[in-house]
Amino acid sequence: MQCEQFEQILEQQDSGALPETALDHLEGCAACRALSADFSAIREAALELGDEEIAPPERVWVSLRNQLEAEGLIHDAEEIQLAASEERRGWWTILQRPAFAGAFLGALLLAASTVGYLSNFAPATVDSQLKVQQEVSPVPAADSVFKEEVLTVGNESIPGLQREDTVVTNSIRHNLQIVDNLIAMCEKSVREQPDNEMAREYLYGAYQQKAELLATATNRSMTGGLQ
Amino acid sequence: MNAISYLRATSTARARNVVRVSALSAMMVGLVLAAAPAHADRMEKHFAVQKQPKITVRNSNGRIQVKAWNKNEVQVSWTNPSGKTVVETEEAGNRVEIVTRETQEGLSEEDCKTDFEITVPVFSELNVRTDSGNVTVDSVHGDMTFDTVGANLQLSDVAGYVVVKTIDGSLVCDRCAGKLEANSISGNVQMLQPSLDSVRVQTSSGNIFFDGSFSSRGIYIMKNFSGAIEVHFTSSDSFDVNATSLKGDVINQATFKPDTHGSPHPASKWGHSLFGTMNEGHAKVELSSFSGTIKILQRD
Repeated sequence: MQCEQFEQILEQQDSGALPETALDHLEGCAACRALSADFSAIREAALELGDEEIAPPERVWVSLRNQLEAEGLIHDAEEIQLAASEERRGWWTILQRPAFAGAFLGALLLAASTVGYLSNFAPATVDSQLKVQQEVSPVPAADSVFKEEVLTVGNESIPGLQREDTVVTNSIRHNLQIVDNLIAMCEKSVREQPDNEMAREYLYGAYQQKAELLATATNRSMTGGLQ
Repeated sequence: MNAISYLRATSTARARNVVRVSALSAMMVGLVLAAAPAHADRMEKHFAVQKQPKITVRNSNGRIQVKAWNKNEVQVSWTNPSGKTVVETEEAGNRVEIVTRETQEGLSEEDCKTDFEITVPVFSELNVRTDSGNVTVDSVHGDMTFDTVGANLQLSDVAGYVVVKTIDGSLVCDRCAGKLEANSISGNVQMLQPSLDSVRVQTSSGNIFFDGSFSSRGIYIMKNFSGAIEVHFTSSDSFDVNATSLKGDVINQATFKPDTHGSPHPASKWGHSLFGTMNEGHAKVELSSFSGTIKILQRD
């Protein structure tokens, strides 16, 4: 079995045991073992997060759906609705389950980390790596997902930030504004000076801070601030 | 009625009134005291531990004061005036956990407020998570992590590996030793008379202030976006410095030699930079800002 076949099996496999052929391949392939371990870790983390109800902003789902439609992975909204009515537990319903929402947020954080990690390389290296990723994989590049989803999340759409009167909510709102301003400043610098490595580094740092801040907001709202 | 009789009568009436008012006041005080919640009382628990216990505190709002003593015992006392939170404690092996829980949903910050006074063995490991309210730690020499939203931290005479993550809380580290990692968005960070040999401090809009000596084998990295970074050092310190502000100024009031270590530093195309060596250049100091001002001052 080749690694690509193993990846397909891994993606299709929900939570049950892998077929024997896949297990055989796993024994001899360190890269697939690492991939399988990552999948398990994400699944476990998602299940843990699923214990608490969270409500990701509607725009995240809309944006995700548009992205999937644009890539031809799904067809159109009407078909989705039809499929949903025919099969109540369609992928969309599943995707909106808290566990997957948690996993999605986790993926966004991972994307932020990846973008931050890539910033350690020269700009040309980053660009070429991203191009290669886009060519070989239908999955959107980390920075595009990040820009589409995290950077467009506004104060009003963060779960748990509906309460007006709390110190925590106000603090998170205030600091989101600060980070958004920093992102705007850094983006302007990068646009004006594309080969300025330091400006790029600050921009990635600001992205990462926004992701961490959103994670804190979600985490605090899920746990009532106490856990 | 003559004048004397009149005075007697009025003074008697006044005395009666005073008695009535006093009795009424006493009744009201009694009622208020009776209505005061019993949970406003100070609660206290003791845990026998070994030399280096791990202590975890989870609180939502309120003051947390931690200090060290020479006993192998953890003493926890708390008050929660609203009575709408409960404090749960757990002891397992050499680990003590103290957690505040809400008794009902949708409580305000004031309702959640629980103040703690915790006394721990000197070499305790601390793990504190709180949203708002101040945290003070005094003379504890173990590793510590702090995760806060708006709570300010005041650490005095602590030693160990200290990790701080806060959103807009400030950090004042007074005579701290060991290693410090701090990350904030809008909080200020001050290191006063530190004996730290590793510093990694990052804040977005906050200011960073370092007033102390650089240890000869230390690495000091201080970075922000828009606040000021100010470093005061003594003439006997030995370090290489690399300070860069992309949009702000670098103000240097010390005399550095050109950096003799590592690769040469060409003048930066972007922003303002300073590279140099003080004495033998043992320690490494990196100061970096996006639009803030960096000041480097020699104390003597």
